[in-house]
Amino acid sequence: MLKKIQQDSHDKFEELGYPSKKLESWKFSPSKHLKKYNLINLDQSNFSIEQYNDKYTLCFINGELAKESLNNFIYKDGITVSDIDELDDSSICSTSSNFEQEAFFHLGISSIKSGKYFEFHKGVKFENPIHILNIYNKSEKDLRISSFNIFKLNEGNNISIIEKDINKGSGSFNLNLNKFICPDNTIFNHSMLYDDKTKSNYLGYNYYQLGQSVLLNIDSMNINSPFNKNFIEVDLNKEGSEAKINILNLANGDQHLDNNILMNHNAEHCISFQNVRNILDDQATCVFNGKVIVSHGAQKTDSNQSNKNLLLSNSATAHSNPQLEIYADDVKCGHGSTTGALDKESIFYLRARGINEKDANNILIKAFAKEILEEFFDEDIRSLSEENLNNWIDG
Amino acid sequence: MIKIKNLKASIEDKDILKGIDLDIPKGEVHVIMGRNGSGKSTLANVIAGNEAYEVDAGSIEMNGDDITEMSIENRALQGLFLCFQYPVAIPGVSMAYFLRAALNAKNKHAGKEEMDAVEFLTRAKKILSELGLDDSFLKRSINDGFSGGEKKKSEILQLLMLNPQLAVLDETDSGLDVDALRTVAKGVNEFKNKDNSVLIITHYQRLLEYIKPDVVHILIDGKIVKSGDMKLVYEVEKNGYAWLTK
Repeated sequence: MLKKIQQDSHDKFEELGYPSKKLESWKFSPSKHLKKYNLINLDQSNFSIEQYNDKYTLCFINGELAKESLNNFIYKDGITVSDIDELDDSSICSTSSNFEQEAFFHLGISSIKSGKYFEFHKGVKFENPIHILNIYNKSEKDLRISSFNIFKLNEGNNISIIEKDINKGSGSFNLNLNKFICPDNTIFNHSMLYDDKTKSNYLGYNYYQLGQSVLLNIDSMNINSPFNKNFIEVDLNKEGSEAKINILNLANGDQHLDNNILMNHNAEHCISFQNVRNILDDQATCVFNGKVIVSHGAQKTDSNQSNKNLLLSNSATAHSNPQLEIYADDVKCGHGSTTGALDKESIFYLRARGINEKDANNILIKAFAKEILEEFFDEDIRSLSEENLNNWIDG
Repeated sequence: MIKIKNLKASIEDKDILKGIDLDIPKGEVHVIMGRNGSGKSTLANVIAGNEAYEVDAGSIEMNGDDITEMSIENRALQGLFLCFQYPVAIPGVSMAYFLRAALNAKNKHAGKEEMDAVEFLTRAKKILSELGLDDSFLKRSINDGFSGGEKKKSEILQLLMLNPQLAVLDETDSGLDVDALRTVAKGVNEFKNKDNSVLIITHYQRLLEYIKPDVVHILIDGKIVKSGDMKLVYEVEKNGYAWLTK
């Protein structure tokens, strides 16, 4: 089955070609530099995961699940793992119509060696979060590494996934494609932490399908990678579900950080929040493309979008594009965007109490970030993110 | 304590202070009264070092040191404290964190060790209770969602915690009801002693019923036109400012 999907994606990529600035989703995003990355035949043979061999961790090496980590995985009895190729139902692999228009999505699908399908058993509630480590260890230059995984929850599941990247190689172009199926009465928390000092480029496509009375939290913090573009699409397909997205991006130098969020309200009585904050220094750039579509009949929708950008230098640039498309008449939808420097009055107030200018600035930067970090669902991730933030500020 | 000589200041090329001379000795309470737009708040801000204002001439000395060009924080560390007329809200920074950061900066400057958490909390809770504020006040973000009275009480809390040498109260009495006014005045009286000084900037005499000034100055169009004692306050209250410009 996989071969057929890959062939279709290959054809689609040939048809679409690399994205240009004419596309809304790539209007403010550089893409030319991504063309130089080539796929090579990757293997895991010479890499030991021993140092990451935690019982709560699933390691993916160059996009492939490491068997050893699955054997050691504490929750392996609550989960069935199979190759996507072995699935009978090809509809499980289907993705959003928006991703279908994305050339890089197809490039990713056509490039994978294999993909995994994780199905959580009915009623399973794991006490601790599952850690997913994406490890890249190739030293060859200009590598493109792709992965495609599907996670299917079942009714009654309460699952948390914390995803991190570890780059032991020379820097690559990492294309991560994920689909998360969250049926009725499930809770799913997904944290993504990007902190890569090896100058890798990240492009993520994350698609979430929600049933009835689902609670979805997506948290993300992003520092250090020179290029990171993440597509998040959530389908609220049945009533009574709630999706919350909290993202904090920190960028300096020539970094480019980019979030593209689409929230599809397809059913009544659903709630969604998008809360994205960017802190930019030097010549860094960021993009927020956030969209909420409220379909006909999705009455009593309660949706809010907020994008706030803090510019620490005159050369930093923030592109903010919050959008609403509403086709129902009894909804509550709000969106807002602000971009600006640190508030001079606040700096004066703090300095007037004897706090030096640098510390005053840092207090205000932390306060700006903290409002996002406080919303992160996992306490450990909150602490780790706060530590990352402090390190970033201290330079 | 503070000596201001021929101070001239402007904002965006508009002259506001046009030659202020003011000498506040240690242990005294001075009052500056004046109409709206006379330059009262500008004077407070210029003393505190607000960089939005340009000092065009003159000098400010504090305890014999020229602080005219000194940074905002160094003035504060020298013992200057401005009670803000409109304290700014800073979401995400708790009062406790802010007060500790300010106290740590002060102690570090004085070559002392950081105040430990227990001592800090004991002192803060005592002052909060005197101001009629709950202990949970420390957990709230700076001035965020504070009522008018809470904002002014927060300034007095900071004043009493930091215990500076000179307190400049910029219309601290504005927007307060009688009870809050009394509480704020009580806080200022608690602060006041023979080793420090207070400069009160106000429109009205009502705060002066609780805090007795040693000297009263009238500021008109950026200049002190008359100085005197409490009688001057009553005269202004009765006759307004017009007679002082004739």
